Amino acid sequence: MSLIAPAFLLGLLAIGLPLWLHRLSSDNPNKQKFSSSMFLEPGEPRRVLAKKLQYLLLLALRIAVLVLLALAFTQPALWRRPEAASAGGARLHLIVLDGSASMGYSGRFERARAAAREVIAGLRADDRGQLVVAGRQFEVLGPATGDASVLRDALNTVEPGVFRLDYGQLMRSIDALLRTAELPVVIDLVTDVQQSSLPTRFGELAPRRPAEVAIHDVSGGKADNWTIESFAGSALTGELEASVRSFAAADARKSVRLTLNGKTTAEQPVEIAAGGRAQARFAALELAAGPNRVTVSLEPGDDLAADDQRFLVLKRPQPRNVLLVAADQKGRGALFLASALGTLATLALNPETRTPAKLTDKPLAEASFVVVTDVGLLGSGEVAALTDYVQNGGRALLALGPRSTGLTTVPLSGEVLRGGQQLGAAATVSVGEIDTAHPALRGLDDLRSAKFTRYVAVEPGTEDRVLIRLEDGAPLLVERPLGAGRVLLFTSSLDREWNDLPVQPVYVPFIAGLANHLLGGAGFTSEADLGSTLAVRALGLAGGQIFDPRGQKALGLGAGGEDVLLDQIGFYEVVGGGNTELVAVNFDPREADLTRVDDATLERWRGLGTRAAEQTQSAASSAANEPTPRPLGPLLVIALLLAAIVESWVGNWHLRIRRGLAA
Amino acid sequence: MSPSAGTAVPQHLLAPETLASLANLELVARAVVTGFLTGMHRSPFFGFSQEFAEYRAYAEGDDPRFVDWNVYARTERTYIKRYIGETNTRLVILLDASASMGFASGKVSKLLYGKFLAATLAYLAARQHDAVGLIVFDDQIREHRTASSRSGRLHGVLHAIDRVQPGTGTDLTIPFERFREIEKGRGLVAVISDFYCDPNALLKSVQPLAYQGQDVILFQLLDPQELMPQLKESALLEDMESGKSMEVSPIYMSSLYRERIAAHVDALNKAALGAGADHRLVTITEPLDSVLRSYLSFRHRRG
Repeated sequence: MSLIAPAFLLGLLAIGLPLWLHRLSSDNPNKQKFSSSMFLEPGEPRRVLAKKLQYLLLLALRIAVLVLLALAFTQPALWRRPEAASAGGARLHLIVLDGSASMGYSGRFERARAAAREVIAGLRADDRGQLVVAGRQFEVLGPATGDASVLRDALNTVEPGVFRLDYGQLMRSIDALLRTAELPVVIDLVTDVQQSSLPTRFGELAPRRPAEVAIHDVSGGKADNWTIESFAGSALTGELEASVRSFAAADARKSVRLTLNGKTTAEQPVEIAAGGRAQARFAALELAAGPNRVTVSLEPGDDLAADDQRFLVLKRPQPRNVLLVAADQKGRGALFLASALGTLATLALNPETRTPAKLTDKPLAEASFVVVTDVGLLGSGEVAALTDYVQNGGRALLALGPRSTGLTTVPLSGEVLRGGQQLGAAATVSVGEIDTAHPALRGLDDLRSAKFTRYVAVEPGTEDRVLIRLEDGAPLLVERPLGAGRVLLFTSSLDREWNDLPVQPVYVPFIAGLANHLLGGAGFTSEADLGSTLAVRALGLAGGQIFDPRGQKALGLGAGGEDVLLDQIGFYEVVGGGNTELVAVNFDPREADLTRVDDATLERWRGLGTRAAEQTQSAASSAANEPTPRPLGPLLVIALLLAAIVESWVGNWHLRIRRGLAA
Repeated sequence: MSPSAGTAVPQHLLAPETLASLANLELVARAVVTGFLTGMHRSPFFGFSQEFAEYRAYAEGDDPRFVDWNVYARTERTYIKRYIGETNTRLVILLDASASMGFASGKVSKLLYGKFLAATLAYLAARQHDAVGLIVFDDQIREHRTASSRSGRLHGVLHAIDRVQPGTGTDLTIPFERFREIEKGRGLVAVISDFYCDPNALLKSVQPLAYQGQDVILFQLLDPQELMPQLKESALLEDMESGKSMEVSPIYMSSLYRERIAAHVDALNKAALGAGADHRLVTITEPLDSVLRSYLSFRHRRG
């Protein structure tokens, strides 16, 4: 046994305290009989140092408590040397089986099983083996054993998954096993040695502790594969585009099939050059109400079927009214805006332009959101109506045009205005900071191409979130919650009066992003990564049910608050709150690249390991062969607690006697 | 002249330590009384003589030896002679034999002293032809002998006193109640105890006796260490009755305790006066003759 922090032994000096106290309090008066205690009162014991220690049991317990406490701080541990030193060459074979998706390609997993069996068969009498499957998770199949039949039985239960393997992550996970290993370790990695699975830094492939690395390559040489790398729909046009990638040595001709809710709707041939990409485009689909399952698949398939499909969830937009408030129906601001909104087919917006006087001709509640091209146009009645609309959950985009320069505060939202900023005749200012984390502004860096000649300086309030600032720091786009709704304030004009934004290509995506945000955005994640979790509570679907792509129930009713692991590719169906939503989970395209690691790299990787013989020889200096500490702290703490309890009891017993509370 | 001025017997012969060396309790009583009476000469309280005083009709319980047979021969009626100094009263001794009475800082415990005193009182009363009764108690009645002046009664009483050993706790209510139940006639009641009790409770117990016509004298026996304890250092004192232990400081015992015990004695004294009884604090190192003098003085006043 040794101590990790022996300095705490100095704490044993504290033993002097009870020794002194027990001498100090040892003025234990002799017991004398007295006729009556009727007029007696307990007095403070006289403190004198006596030669003789009193209450020896109590003293012993107190000393024991102090000793145990000091020892607990010193972290004593029993050190056990690995059995290897005495076992004469016995080794632990960690048989790590690659369980990633690529192992399902063309008999690779069968070869992997065979290679693992060879390793098992090669175990010597005193060797141990432990089977590990590495996919998304690092799964240890039972403890280390010398029984080959147990290992073989475990091996037969393993199947490849659909996940991607990262070798760097794998080596980090193995470290936990190396740390507790009592024998020199040989890592038998049975894998297809995918190039795409290598970590960014080569050094991450090294075992954290000395261990021999034996790589059993089961790639088999053949690695031709094609995959659908991406599949997405345009937010503007609704068109669908699938990107097909080749990892093959030869050109290929394939076709991409589009399926909507299980029915094939289109098929398009693609010529894919060796190692190249090809795109297949499809016209907008006639979508059914609610979420639609859209699948593209590569025909004919290849040996790795999992990456030949890609899934997408599309919803048919519902026609929605948008109210544009402008000085006149032919105003440029309304024209640019109505044109932009009209192009957003996927949002199915129906813009209607009204003058402020006719603002309340129809109920505002019919509008999905309202755009005011210049808030200076609004009278008090219109402001009150709009305020009521927003307070009750409506959303509005307010622009500050030429009519707003005389205002001191923004109607509705109430920000303070400092007047219009007129830049010089030739001077313009561009967009500075953009809050790209905001859902309405993702991918809109091109906004910086727009030039602004005028804007109204706004002092944002504490509730305001400035989404875009101009280069001079002035807010350009400000968001403020108002009651149950929200207001977006654009501090320049929406036409070309004060800027050239409407003629920039980014204008329509910008308006699309704002419109999408004002419509409430896509609150539901319709696409998720394989291996990620679906947070049920975050989706507001607690109490619902989730079905996996095979139709099996992944989460039952009343299991709110739990997360569902998305471990299959396809469509997850989420039923709850009266709605049915779909989540598309797709294959990681990096796993589709079956290119093998080159031999030189493989050899370097093997060289990162330490041979078992070297591990044994360098036992004195090797961390792996250093004795394994078995901490005794928990035992000491238990003993400390027991001693403290007994000490309290004995101390209390003595105290009761001294205070005359008991005989 | 002070009562003890004419004592012929050396004082130390009546000292409790000296008496303790005598094996026989009757011998002790006799030594005390004889020595005491010898030194009395002409006591200012009353003469002890066989001087005839009157005849009285024989009553049950009277000693037949005192029947005047001459009168009987003439009148065929039984009369007994009465002499001066014979008040023909009865004395009932209530002796506390509780555990606290076993306390002794010297050779003589309070109980032993109490036994000497009880025996002496009994012997003296017998000498005066008083009926003598005895109740020995602690927290219950342990011995009871009704008052009688028959010959042999004294021996029985002395024998009963001799057998007394320290018992358990103290409860004065029980012996007084028992006394009231059994002893209906007027007489003297001598209570020998350390009176570790509430003075008010004692008052309530004694007062009915006074109403009954009994003359009560309380002999409160205390050891000098109880009155003026002297501790050199802290001591763990164990209550002899309850068994409780308590560590006390010498400062407390030499100051506050003394005040408290003195206040208690004073309260007992007042309670006794309130109940029409006499209270006599007796330090157990005190010679018995002075206690007897107190008794005789009391008897004279009440007789």
